[in-house]
Amino acid sequence: MSGTSVEIQGLSKSFDNHQVLKNLSFDIRSGEFFSILGPSGCGKTTLLRIIGGFEEEDSGVVLLDNVDMKNYPANKRKTNTIFQSYALFPHLTVYENIAFPLKIKKMTKPLIKNEVEKYLNMVKLSGYEKKYPKELSGGQKQRVAIARALINQPGILLLDEPLSALDAKLRQHMLVELDSIHDQTGITFIYITHDQHEALSVSDRVAVMNEGKILQIGTPSEIYESPKDAFVADFIGETNFIEGIVQEKGGKFAKLYSETLKTMIEFDMDQSVEIGDKVKLTIRPEKIRVKRENPQKTSSQHFNILKGKVDEIIYHGFQSKFFIDINGFILKAFKPHLSYFEESERIGWKEEVYFWWDADDSFLVEVSK
Amino acid sequence: MKEKKKISFVFFIFTLLFFYLPLLVLVIYSFNEGKTMKWTGFSFHWYEELFTRSKELWNAFENSIIIALLSSLASTVIGTLGAIGIYWYRFRHKKLIQTVSYLPLMLPDIIIGISLLIFFAGIGLNLSLTTIFIAHTTFNIPYVLFILIARLQEFDYSVIEASYDLGAKEKDTLLKIILPIIKPGIIAGFLMAMTLSLDDFVITFFVSGPGSSTLPLHIFSMIRFGVSPVINALAVILIAATAFLALLSKNMQKYIYQS
Amino acid sequence: MKKNYGTIYSLPLSVWLAFFFIGPTLIIFLYSFLKKSPFGGVERSFSLDAFAFLFNPTVLQIAWMTLYISIAVAVITLFLALPTAYFMAKSRYKDSLLLFIIIPFWVNFLIRIYAWIAILGNNGFINNFLIQTGLVSDNFQFLYNPYAVVLITVYTYLPYAILPLYSTIEKFDFGLLEASKDLGATHFQGLKKIFIPGIKSGIYTAFLFTFIPALGSYAVPQLVGGTSSMMLGNVIAREIIITRNFPLASAISLILSLLTIIGILVFMKKNENEKKAVK
Ligand SMILES: Nc1ncnc2c1ncn2[C@@H]1O[C@H](COP(=O)(O)OP(=O)(O)OP(=O)(O)O)[C@@H](O)[C@H]1O
Ligand SMILES: [Mg+2]
Repeated sequence: MSGTSVEIQGLSKSFDNHQVLKNLSFDIRSGEFFSILGPSGCGKTTLLRIIGGFEEEDSGVVLLDNVDMKNYPANKRKTNTIFQSYALFPHLTVYENIAFPLKIKKMTKPLIKNEVEKYLNMVKLSGYEKKYPKELSGGQKQRVAIARALINQPGILLLDEPLSALDAKLRQHMLVELDSIHDQTGITFIYITHDQHEALSVSDRVAVMNEGKILQIGTPSEIYESPKDAFVADFIGETNFIEGIVQEKGGKFAKLYSETLKTMIEFDMDQSVEIGDKVKLTIRPEKIRVKRENPQKTSSQHFNILKGKVDEIIYHGFQSKFFIDINGFILKAFKPHLSYFEESERIGWKEEVYFWWDADDSFLVEVSK
Repeated sequence: MKEKKKISFVFFIFTLLFFYLPLLVLVIYSFNEGKTMKWTGFSFHWYEELFTRSKELWNAFENSIIIALLSSLASTVIGTLGAIGIYWYRFRHKKLIQTVSYLPLMLPDIIIGISLLIFFAGIGLNLSLTTIFIAHTTFNIPYVLFILIARLQEFDYSVIEASYDLGAKEKDTLLKIILPIIKPGIIAGFLMAMTLSLDDFVITFFVSGPGSSTLPLHIFSMIRFGVSPVINALAVILIAATAFLALLSKNMQKYIYQS
Repeated sequence: MKKNYGTIYSLPLSVWLAFFFIGPTLIIFLYSFLKKSPFGGVERSFSLDAFAFLFNPTVLQIAWMTLYISIAVAVITLFLALPTAYFMAKSRYKDSLLLFIIIPFWVNFLIRIYAWIAILGNNGFINNFLIQTGLVSDNFQFLYNPYAVVLITVYTYLPYAILPLYSTIEKFDFGLLEASKDLGATHFQGLKKIFIPGIKSGIYTAFLFTFIPALGSYAVPQLVGGTSSMMLGNVIAREIIITRNFPLASAISLILSLLTIIGILVFMKKNENEKKAVK
């Protein structure tokens, strides 16, 4: 079995004059675990429904394995969907639900039995054949939906927030299972979610969507470590933004003056800027280190060292979140607890602290002349 | 809270008595020997009369059953298909069709009755069991439609999409998914239509012709001549049948909705 | 994709209703503007005679009587139904109580009317009882007046009002009442300011479910009303069956339909406002 590739070209869709998808173009490779991440209402479900054939595009092309899907209804496409609500047939047992696609294909009874058992095993539901959907827990329903979608051997599995109705523990567990099913079957997965942790932990690539547009596509680490856009940086994980006017540049680095921080900040020029440009930087809180003492400059000369007052500390188990006040501007810094009970390590509320980060760790997300 | 509860309890008991006392009087007097509402002694006389010497009444009853079965069947088929069309598809004038379908629910019976009467007269259709069947089907359709659309709304549309997604075509989706899911609604609609059809007097009154009496029409003609102990006996039979069916349907509902 | 199947599925429905509902309704509309033929049908010439006849004092008087009876029925029904439904909704045995209320509702409509004739009629149960006990010497006429029509119509329509009230009261969050007491409201204030507004849609529905059918009453006034409490339904029937004045019957039907539709529209508007207010 091998996954189907997807190619989307210039896809647009409106509902009642409201443009939900704005000229999208991207490719998904055969067998990829591809996640689409974005806030509520950004058009994720609509995009998935168009790929699945439940909704018609206004313009643009959807190619599955290089074939234009224009005149293919849902029942003729190599896609199968895991609906957010599971959409199990309430009047059929688990067995009959999973067997449904094969019965439609008029397969013989023994063959159907064989297949259903195979997929029941895969989703670890053997022994539940005779139960009705309403007798199952959320996680079990989920598994039935997965088995039912897989038994047709689709080229692509479309998953619309499949785990959102499950509790946190189960979600983690099902995610691992989905990942292993993906590995076993080699099917292309298109996975929609709100939840960045889900998307980052299992995907080969992630697309971040907002207001009907795809802002960035990349591997989880690309998306997290080098966001190309302020929205992406903000949406994925937590971050700080610093704005300012470029004052100096030389080699790989440049410096800006921040009005709010009242200081110069050095940063890595991953896009070219000119002196006098207005720019916005993003820096992840866990890249900012906090200490009582001034660390002094070390070997790599490109550090920003600032001083501020601890405004609030939130204890988070493996780390603490520091909110540091610099002239009224609040910066977040996350400090892992390497040795929490070491008194010297523990910084208190309202204490004056130094904090610093490597100029390489910040990213330019906006430049305007 | 206590006070309020007491007052509402009094009202409830009053309502129950209000409902049941008149029926109780009928039950008691059905065993009266005499012909009037004056108690003269116990007797099964009027039951005997009802079962052995009331040929017309039983004819009318037979007509009622036939009409009820046929019109419920017709309205259930039409209403079910209509509900599926209206609920699951997008098409032109859908909203209009739905609104118009509910209108007969709202218009007074007498208007439906006389408009059909004038219509039948206009197209030259003689009043008979056929016209009664048409009339009953017409007023039953909106009820069936209403029940089924309510039933459909309880369901997740994605179930239908899942069926298409898994390779089923229109026909399989209808037969294997949609119909089984709404089966309890179909049964409920059919029973509702039966009840309404058996009970209807006003509309039937206008669209029935000579020789096409139904049970309510027959009862009407008997009531017009005042108190008749045969009606008392009939009333008791009908009340017993109603109570039996009510209990049965209550248990059946449990059964239907469980599966 | 699957657009056209909807039309196919609803085709029998559309055709049936077009023929047997819209057609006949339009005919009534048309007939009310035609001239009565001396032989009982209509002539194909435009005329407002029927509408003019509506302003005849007897017809007006019957129209008033109809309105008066219908309002009385709706108000009394509501008055009885509200506490009854309240008790049922708060009871531990809701389901059984509901069944108790529904069973008489399923007993044939005419039998329910007949029961009252057997009780209140000139030779009925009460008259017999009164004479036997020697309280009165002559039959007392309980029936054949507007009060009898109201009483028996209330009897037949009461469940229509209890059921919608019951279902709204059952959904009402009684925590709100406790909260209002907690905030210092008396029990009565709580009922008036929280409970009644909270179940308003049920009250409107109950009113509508009794008022509208009462407007179109035919059987009850026919059987127990006598000449003093004729309603519009009886006039329509008389014009159709006896006088054979189809245009007049049509015109009255038209007015009655309009009243009904206006009633429903007002109700829907109110209900919508309620919903908005809740949001
Ligand atoms: N059938 C429809 N008719 C009209 N508008 C629609 C329809 N489906 C979606 N929309 C609108 O399109 C926009 C995008 O909806 P979509 O369901 O694709 O969002 P989403 O990204 O999946 O959101 P969520 O994360 O909340 O599921 C929303 O504004 C929604 O209101
Ligand atoms: Mg969605």
